[in-house]
Amino acid sequence: MPRTPALRSLASEKALPYWLILPTIAYVAVFFLVPVVQALLLAFRTQDGQWTTRFLVRMVQDIQFVSALRFTLLLLAIIVPLQLVTALFIALLVNTRFRGSRTFLYICAIPLGISDLAAGLIWFSLFTQHGYINSFLYGLGIIERPIFFLSAQNTGWVLGSIVLAEHWRATAIVLVILVAGLQMISRDYLEAAEVFGARSWQRLWHVTLPLLKPSLQSALIIRTILALQMFAVVVAMGGRMVPVLAGEAYYWYYLYRNTNVASAYALLLMVISALLAWGYLRFLRPREVRP
Amino acid sequence: MTFRQLQRRFLLYMVVVVIALWVLVPLALIALAAFTPRLELYQWPRPVLPSGFSTATMSFFLRSYGTLTSLRNSALVALLTLGMTLAVGAPAGYAVARYVFRGREAFRIGILMTRMFPTSLLAIPLIVTFIRWQLYDTLIGVAFIHTAMALPFAVLITSGIFSGVPKELEEAAMTLGCSRLGAFVRVALPLALPGLAAAAMFTFVISWNEVFASAILTVRNRTLPAQVLTSLEVAPLDFRFAGGFFMIIPALIFMALARRYLFQMWGGAISER
Amino acid sequence: MRYLSVLLLAGLVASAATVAAAPDLTFMSTQMRPITEAEWVRTVLLPPFTTETGVPVVFLGAEEPELTNRILAEFEAGRGSLDLVGDLHGNFLVYYGALKDLGAELAQLEALGDRTLAQSFVELGRIGDAQVYIPWMQATYVLVANKKALQYLPSWADPTTLTYDQLYLWAKKIYEATGEQKLGIPAGPRALLHRFLHGYLYPSFTGAQVKKFDSPAAVLMWEYLKDLWQYVTPSAPLLDSMDTALLSEEVWIAWDHTARVKTAVMERPDDFVVLPAPAGPKGRGVITVLAGLAIPQTAPDPASAYQLIEYLTRPSSQVAILEGVGFFPVVTEAAGAVPTGGLKVLADGVAVQSASPDLLVSIIPGGLGARGGEFNKVYLDSFTEIVIRGRPIKEVLAQQGALLDALFRETGAPTPVPDVYLP
Repeated sequence: MPRTPALRSLASEKALPYWLILPTIAYVAVFFLVPVVQALLLAFRTQDGQWTTRFLVRMVQDIQFVSALRFTLLLLAIIVPLQLVTALFIALLVNTRFRGSRTFLYICAIPLGISDLAAGLIWFSLFTQHGYINSFLYGLGIIERPIFFLSAQNTGWVLGSIVLAEHWRATAIVLVILVAGLQMISRDYLEAAEVFGARSWQRLWHVTLPLLKPSLQSALIIRTILALQMFAVVVAMGGRMVPVLAGEAYYWYYLYRNTNVASAYALLLMVISALLAWGYLRFLRPREVRP
Repeated sequence: MTFRQLQRRFLLYMVVVVIALWVLVPLALIALAAFTPRLELYQWPRPVLPSGFSTATMSFFLRSYGTLTSLRNSALVALLTLGMTLAVGAPAGYAVARYVFRGREAFRIGILMTRMFPTSLLAIPLIVTFIRWQLYDTLIGVAFIHTAMALPFAVLITSGIFSGVPKELEEAAMTLGCSRLGAFVRVALPLALPGLAAAAMFTFVISWNEVFASAILTVRNRTLPAQVLTSLEVAPLDFRFAGGFFMIIPALIFMALARRYLFQMWGGAISER
Repeated sequence: MRYLSVLLLAGLVASAATVAAAPDLTFMSTQMRPITEAEWVRTVLLPPFTTETGVPVVFLGAEEPELTNRILAEFEAGRGSLDLVGDLHGNFLVYYGALKDLGAELAQLEALGDRTLAQSFVELGRIGDAQVYIPWMQATYVLVANKKALQYLPSWADPTTLTYDQLYLWAKKIYEATGEQKLGIPAGPRALLHRFLHGYLYPSFTGAQVKKFDSPAAVLMWEYLKDLWQYVTPSAPLLDSMDTALLSEEVWIAWDHTARVKTAVMERPDDFVVLPAPAGPKGRGVITVLAGLAIPQTAPDPASAYQLIEYLTRPSSQVAILEGVGFFPVVTEAAGAVPTGGLKVLADGVAVQSASPDLLVSIIPGGLGARGGEFNKVYLDSFTEIVIRGRPIKEVLAQQGALLDALFRETGAPTPVPDVYLP
């Protein structure tokens, strides 16, 4: 393909991207970098500056550590894929532009604006002993006495309730990103595929999804990072029964007042997040758009 | 319309209605709970439809100290955050999408890393810094922190958006005599608008719902979630419902306003061509 | 349009950046934080003070960790926003280093002659050589029972001298009759379960909070708690306070802090009775809950803050607080006051408890400083391991006991009350 003058001028703007990212770097450095690095060092350093692995050991030996790690990864592994599939389904549905699809998308996007505190409260009021679900079932005569959805004897139910609540609350962000991404896909590609006789499944798999990769990637990274820090909903529904890493970090900082162990938890969360984000960036790399 | 088409259409709307109900029913319940007479909330079985409509709890909550001021504060902080985040973050997103440059991957991961640290653990350092910088207990200070929290995501989302805008279009505009900036403003920006709207919505709600930094960095100038958290966390159920519902309403309104931008592309240039 | 939005943004920035000049007093408190109580403080308790002194007060509620971090950070920065702080004894132990020594102010108060601050409380507020807080008001933990539960009480048991064994039989009988676990003990993430363990069960069963942590008597105590837990509501690990569960009748009997059951008793005073905490083999273990008033070293206006302390410790204010929100006085002149309605039910129950002959009073251990949180964690973790996860008691107590020993060894904290009275 012949190189146009315009392309050359684009390629010659070597310094421009650096100017464009500079404000972001400066901003984040000023507000976050120093305190975050200091906090992370606390995972290895005592108050009087000695290096130690004591705090990491304390974290790993803590009675909540193993279950917190397990529940965090379990919730992540259930919630994120579930949300991705649901959001993709709704986005594709909306993209068929049936009558009323705008209203439908608005409704589905509403939970985006709802805080985790409020969402926790809403779902808690549904699932408690004398909550709406039990009242409803009792009113219909299906049950004689309330079911304890949220109790230590029934961790399965508790986890299920957390998954439902978190799915309800946080699928909207994935949805909005995917809908925006779908709108960017030129119809030409799909029409071309149709001309060549591709069936709708094939079009989805070979045309839409590959073109949607950048959006899928963004959505996955954001959801994963936020799901790892998920805390308010878990506490509302799971109380002390379902410890998660973000919650342990918070408790160690605020309730047990041991900054060092709290930092060790934060470090662990960062490592897990970074590994996953790296994986998404590596394996969902969008093909470079070639002219 | 054939029977088959009719059947498919019926199925489509069934699915749509079920999903919509899934979202709406919990919202309806908390709305009802917010206006249920207080003692009825404790009855067993709890009536889904209250016997009467009571505004006692809600009006006490609205009249109590700081509620309405905090609503205004939250709106100010969220708008400031929105403006700053897009102004700082969108150029970076564009750079990551358009250019292959040394350090790009490091930048992408690095910027996300800052968000992987639980911000709640920065309480004491943040307060100390903010006192020294005279930002303590100011709304602009809260907005600065919210911007730092939203920025990594804004860069990520906008880069995804800009990478979907074909490079050729901008290049074509430049061959036709547009400057580099002109090509961006006239071609890339309009095409990316719905995506930017998505990023803007997300930024707004991050700020709107953020409770930790707002609570710790303000004393008197609380935002709504900070205010609700401190006064309702230990309050009886009826107040928690009223406060929870009250926090949701502004979000609903904002979503309705932002909706227009999200759908701007529909029936627009690309899809009809 | 574009200029308009730029203008708008500039206006926003300007209005957001302005800090209102604040000549008035900032009073932040972890007590009386629930919305109805905070409004009562603002509209009833404080206006007479402002009328009298001309100093407007901004009363702000705060969660304990938030207040602690704020005070420590303001101290570190050397510049503060809070004039007066209301908090619990146990929390002051964490950040007392950032507080002003109120020795002179205390002397000034006592010289007024119209109030006698209970001396044991004044002592509690003295850490090292400094009087870090002035006693403000007190509370305790009680048992609240729905009157529907009383018919299941064993006929030979007197509810005002209940023992832990009788509590067990009571809860068991209710379960057998109704099929529901109606006993409530708060075990949520923000609940005060640790106080139940180290200040109620441990002293009642072993005579000490710390000293007998993994003694044979402690093993018996944990076995008792495991048995009792069969009749505790399965929602307990979610519940931070018992008022909602009492009102909804999810539970019929509940142990909790008076501030956390108050709503229920005030809402339906005819349906509940307030009883003393149960007794064990070694006595009726209870904790003294003391709230105090302190002035941070960085307070912008310590003189007005002292005026407010003076106002809040007046016998008339102390009575007003009891009648308004149900916290008990710390000055002897106000001791006889009795509130009305639901608060009377509460006050009566507390009075019976204080008069119990077998009372065994514990004080939250001092000297642990910031590591008081880890002290709580030892008891909570033992609970999780033994009662929730069913691990062998002796093993858990040996493990957690080692952590507890290390805590006292590393901080050099003194043996707490009542452990010091043991041989």
